[in-house]
Amino acid sequence: MNLLQQFFLSPVMQEILLPSFLIALIASSMSVMVLAHRLSFLTVGVSHTSLAGLGIAVMLSLPLLPTATVLAVVIALLLAVLPKRQGITEDTGTGLLFAGSMALGIILISKASKQDVDLFGLLFGNILTITSDELHWLLVIGSAIMLMFITMGRSWWSIAFDPVTAFAEGMRTSALRLFLYGAVGLSVIMCVKLAGIVLTTGMLVLPAACAWFWGRSLLSLWLFSVLFAGFGTASGMILSYAQDWPSGATIVMVLCVFFLSSWGMSWLMQHRHKL
Amino acid sequence: MSTPAVHLSNISFSANGITILENISLSLEAGHFIGIVGPNGAGKSTILSIIAGLIQPDHGHIDLMGQCLKRFNRHRLLKQIGYLHQLHDHEPHLPLTVREVVSMGLPNYGAPLWIPLRAEKKVLDALSFLDMQSHIDADFRSLSGGQRQCVRIARALVRKPEILLLDEPSAAMDSKRQQQLYALLRELCDREKTTVIMVEHDIAAITAHVDSVACLNKHIHYHAMKGEQIPEDIWHSMYGDHMHVIAHDHGCIGCQPVQNEACVDACMDEKS
Repeated sequence: MNLLQQFFLSPVMQEILLPSFLIALIASSMSVMVLAHRLSFLTVGVSHTSLAGLGIAVMLSLPLLPTATVLAVVIALLLAVLPKRQGITEDTGTGLLFAGSMALGIILISKASKQDVDLFGLLFGNILTITSDELHWLLVIGSAIMLMFITMGRSWWSIAFDPVTAFAEGMRTSALRLFLYGAVGLSVIMCVKLAGIVLTTGMLVLPAACAWFWGRSLLSLWLFSVLFAGFGTASGMILSYAQDWPSGATIVMVLCVFFLSSWGMSWLMQHRHKL
Repeated sequence: MSTPAVHLSNISFSANGITILENISLSLEAGHFIGIVGPNGAGKSTILSIIAGLIQPDHGHIDLMGQCLKRFNRHRLLKQIGYLHQLHDHEPHLPLTVREVVSMGLPNYGAPLWIPLRAEKKVLDALSFLDMQSHIDADFRSLSGGQRQCVRIARALVRKPEILLLDEPSAAMDSKRQQQLYALLRELCDREKTTVIMVEHDIAAITAHVDSVACLNKHIHYHAMKGEQIPEDIWHSMYGDHMHVIAHDHGCIGCQPVQNEACVDACMDEKS
């Protein structure tokens, strides 16, 4: 039996393929907007609030994923609203909430008993430990994100390009921005399960970063981004299975290789007449 | 008498304690082409931003196509407006074709992704209007400054607006393209009855095409209709005494015709 057969016949891999590809689809779709709106640092900030979410969930005996989801969305919405109203820059606001929630998480977790906390899984991701409840939760928030992306994607794209003109053309830019930040917050929570707090930003930046070299419209960028994330996830999972590497880190590493290859190919295509 | 397309009544606006606009009243019929001129900081862009609903005036009210512009109906009314601003310095370098940039101006652009826009003809028409149809598949980032400006104007036109607000549309354009643009806007006003409000610095370039010129510096110092001369003291009160109006041709609004018939260009020149 070759490696691929072993991989697809493995019961564990069969269980995690669906959630992994679901996360890849959501992350690649939202990564187009993360790059267009320059929200990479927001994804870093919101992903680190998961630690506070874990701390609160453990202290109050709440389910982890829903608690972290609520906290991530609240933080993302605060970051959409507060910097504008309080006259501080968005990256300062993100930095403050990022550091504050991280500190809160560490304090709360230090008070919890060690067997309640899978800190390694949260930091670096561990899709192998996904439960059926968590899978259902991911399906619900994944559907909500895709619904928002499909109904508001073009408006988000237009606002990213020229928010002033979009507003003057009658678009409800403030409301659309709130939905965008909320969707990014939800996407972060999905990615934390696969790639962990530390590598979530990679999942929400790299697919679109690869597609940036090839797409020329929202739809083509989206398509390329999904393709890169799909191939990256499949190859990363197979590689992690073969080498016994952590799956999240391997997927992000493969996407980094895709990015460098895209960059190189794009450069070669632009400069081939000079070579 | 028909309902004015744009009616401004006693508009005042200040920011950080500084008065930007004071008691602006203006009424424009459908198909009117007005040029707004004035020195830097006169409030020209601010008045366009107020009409476009981007900022709220401190006092006064705005009627667009007979309806008062309010917070609750703003989004509906603005669907009938084409707007071009001049703050393009921070435009992100998104990978976009010219086709997609122009499509963004369509009223249904924000529709869900499963609904096709079916706007090829409208986009092509808007680009053809500015002689840019051959660039429809070009990458927006690869265009020159003047070409990008044409694409932005095509975006404002693609929705076939009732009112077109243009803030220095000729920026980055060469003089030939500038004149083509003004002639096209004139045609748009005459043929489609579009009301055009255009802010420009170069009064000489626009006077042959517009129906009226409003001289703005906090308030409207003078609103000259076609064939009417703007007194020299108005220019001085707006720009200061060092300005000297030197020439004009017969068909334009603005300055005193000079004796020398060979001098056909209107311009304002600093006294040496």
